[in-house]
Amino acid sequence: MKKILIVDDEQDIVESLKFVLEAADFTCYCAYNGEDGLRLAKEIMPDLIILDVMMPKINGYKISRLLKYDAKYKNIPILMVTARSQEEDKLIGEETGADEYITKPFELDDVVKKVEQYLK
Amino acid sequence: MNTNKFDKILYMIKILVISDQKEKCDFFNTIFNKNTYEISCLSDEMLIYDLVNADTPDVIIIDTQINYLKNLNKKIKNLCPNTIIIFLNSASKIDKDLIKYANAFFTDGMSEDFIISTINVNLRMKNSLEMLSNSNKDLADSLYRLNALYSTSSQFSGTLDKAKLIQYMIEGMDRALSFSLTCTLSFCTEEEPVLILNSLYELSDELIEALKLRAVLNYNSLFEGKKLPAEINSDTLKVIKQIKYPASRFTFSLFRFDNMFAPVSLGDNFFGCVEIFKESAFSPDDATCFQTIAQQVALPLKSATLYQEIIEANAKLAKLERLKSEFISIVSHELRTPLTSIKNSLDILMSGRCGEITESADKFLSMAMRNVQRLSGIINDLLDLSKIEAGKMDFNFAPTNINTVIDYVKNALSEVAKSKGLTITIDQQKSLPDITADAQRLEQVLTNLVSNAIKFTPENKTITISSKLVNSKDIHINNSFKDYIKLDEGDYVLVCVKDEGIGIAEKDLLHAFDKFAQIENSLSRKAGGTGLGLPIAKQLLEAHHGAIWCDSELNKGSEFYFAIPTAKIEQLV
Repeated sequence: MKKILIVDDEQDIVESLKFVLEAADFTCYCAYNGEDGLRLAKEIMPDLIILDVMMPKINGYKISRLLKYDAKYKNIPILMVTARSQEEDKLIGEETGADEYITKPFELDDVVKKVEQYLK
Repeated sequence: MNTNKFDKILYMIKILVISDQKEKCDFFNTIFNKNTYEISCLSDEMLIYDLVNADTPDVIIIDTQINYLKNLNKKIKNLCPNTIIIFLNSASKIDKDLIKYANAFFTDGMSEDFIISTINVNLRMKNSLEMLSNSNKDLADSLYRLNALYSTSSQFSGTLDKAKLIQYMIEGMDRALSFSLTCTLSFCTEEEPVLILNSLYELSDELIEALKLRAVLNYNSLFEGKKLPAEINSDTLKVIKQIKYPASRFTFSLFRFDNMFAPVSLGDNFFGCVEIFKESAFSPDDATCFQTIAQQVALPLKSATLYQEIIEANAKLAKLERLKSEFISIVSHELRTPLTSIKNSLDILMSGRCGEITESADKFLSMAMRNVQRLSGIINDLLDLSKIEAGKMDFNFAPTNINTVIDYVKNALSEVAKSKGLTITIDQQKSLPDITADAQRLEQVLTNLVSNAIKFTPENKTITISSKLVNSKDIHINNSFKDYIKLDEGDYVLVCVKDEGIGIAEKDLLHAFDKFAQIENSLSRKAGGTGLGLPIAKQLLEAHHGAIWCDSELNKGSEFYFAIPTAKIEQLV
């Protein structure tokens, strides 16, 4: 089973994502702040990361940048999720190497479809 | 000012006769020892110079037979260049050398009447010349002053800086009036009141203290019994010195000076006051000039005050506008996160993944979902508007075919229309030229217009979306909009969304594009709008150098038009 790491300080959102992804036969690991997310990413080597931007301790941009500049982790697809939608934020997301950019509110089914697409 | 000597009866005409011959002296004595003449007869050279020096005669009669004649002529001309010189010539032939010094010649045996009339004619002539020269001098003075006033006026009109205006006033007085010291109490130079001392020479500390005290006294007397616009205190009053010749110093008492004082104010606005000192007396002209400058500066100071108020009010407004945009932006972002959680939960429940849902549960879940989508739409609209207003909206301009946009919107909305029993038909002009546009934003505009049409049209009616290419001169804009829409000349792609709905009253047409428009408030609420769709559409189209307007008739239907130029955006900018 493919491993998905969900990093978001909004527990409710993590919960709903976990629910639909598990229903689609993925194993989910959850972190509720940036530091835990980064540690968990290195520990479990997930197949894909769903990453929120605005988080306490380390924000999503930084985590993405740290992982994408490390040869060991750079091939892990990162789906960046945020409530921000300013164009400049999108640019920062791309610069950090995130593979996909999803704006809240999103369709859960769309997220599942995207995850499946990356892990085909 | 000039006084005619003949007007003054008491004035004695002073005559000096220079001759060493007694009979000649006696002759003139008998003539001039009456009427209004005062005659002296001298022959001693030194005594002559002393007298001429001490009490310049009006007329000197010189006997040409005197032996020191040549020297005397030169000296007298130097000592009293304006005195009338008449030579007493015994010989019939006149020495040419004498002509350059002479106003007239007497010869032996001349009658008394002839002598007196010659003197009077010469005196009158001299007097007229003096008057003329004085008038010329007055004229030159006035001209100089007028020039100074003129250049000061043009300086006044050239700035809205209050500190500069006060400085120009001081400089203007410097140019127009020759003074020793101006003492200006200014409320416009710095935030605190200041005393500007513009002086010819350096001022002693005692003198400065005296001037400070004087300024406070003058100022308080101006507002006697009235409320002061600002408290000033001679101990804490700040002094700015502008000294022309700092090497010299005023040594004498201020109270020996002549002075003038004027407030600088207009209506209720008080900008300061100015006092001017001079060693000699000021003339009435000086006073007029002084008052004029002090009054002239008040109006530009008032304008500058108003200008400053406008600038400050504008800055405040701009700040409020920015805060509002930021506030909307932050609030919208914060709203999105919980909204996502609600939406996700509803999605999961409605998918049946948590167990089967009864029909009535589904009804309420759908209701919740509909409202989540509506809330989400409102947040998006708010964000869009705040972005546009803050100038932060980015557009991806690219060649776009409007018919593609129309097809997309029709496909996206035909299901919704069908569910309300409405038909969407399309009437496109084939092969329209591309326009430079952000296709996604145009979809947003058109979706909004068609959604509105669906909302406000009753069952079994038709909504038509049409497109065509028109020239600006063939575009007809109705009276409600024509004053607000100015289309540049050229070709436009014109899109029309026509419905058979409730329509809009003519008086409300223009307001349909206002933010949070409240036309038929209850209805728009029932139909589920934010009131932001049309203002956003208007702003988006303006960013495309286009325009939006509508024709409508109550209970008949509306036609919403928008036009976008076919010229490239960079050609339009």
